[in-house]
Amino acid sequence: MGLVNAVRDMRTIKQLLTRAEAEARSAGEQTPGPEHLLLAATALPEGTATRALQRIGVDPQQLRTAIEEAHERALAAVGIEVERGDAGEGALRSPAAGAFRSTPQAQQVFREAVALSKSTRPSVLKGAHVVAAATGLEHGTAARALVALGVDRSRLREAACAEAGIG
Amino acid sequence: MAVVDAQPLPGPEDPEAALAAVVALRRMAGRLESAAVVEAISQGWTWAQVGEALGISAQAAHKKFASEVRARRGR
Repeated sequence: MGLVNAVRDMRTIKQLLTRAEAEARSAGEQTPGPEHLLLAATALPEGTATRALQRIGVDPQQLRTAIEEAHERALAAVGIEVERGDAGEGALRSPAAGAFRSTPQAQQVFREAVALSKSTRPSVLKGAHVVAAATGLEHGTAARALVALGVDRSRLREAACAEAGIG
Repeated sequence: MAVVDAQPLPGPEDPEAALAAVVALRRMAGRLESAAVVEAISQGWTWAQVGEALGISAQAAHKKFASEVRARRGR
């Protein structure tokens, strides 16, 4: 990898992880999971994650809503009805402290995204790599949100790979 | 938030729903915990009292929530 790409990669990784952390904290959660990584990927300025989702008819805002609704439905199953409060209600307002931490599943998605990025030329990490990696998840909030949106994971993976320029 | 009625918990035959409920409940508990600790401290509770109520040490309570209390106070 050339120096320019290496620096670009570092910048992307920093943006991605910082945003994932912010997404988690704004949802009142200490530790980012794959769903926060996905939302963070759609916020990257290069736009490949958003375009990958749009290829299969999903808007990032729909994904965000689907994630929230996945939690609401899960609570409804145990008899708890949650009224959707104002955006930001329940958010952690303190900045994240210490080294970056995420769930093992988010770590796995990130590692796989980086591995996928190595298979493209130039090998720079893009949001679409994160989306492609996240389609490997069968369980958990991100997977359930995608199911609720009617997303076929293999179709999303194809769309993400196309956006990322993978074979 | 309201408990509408005592619905049966998702049974073990549906682990997907049961585990999703656990995740959502943890998330809700975390939000409630932060909000309640911030409120307790603003009402003059000590960290020892907060820790006692939560079943953790005063030091652990302070470590986990002090920055959140500061951040919300600043609003």
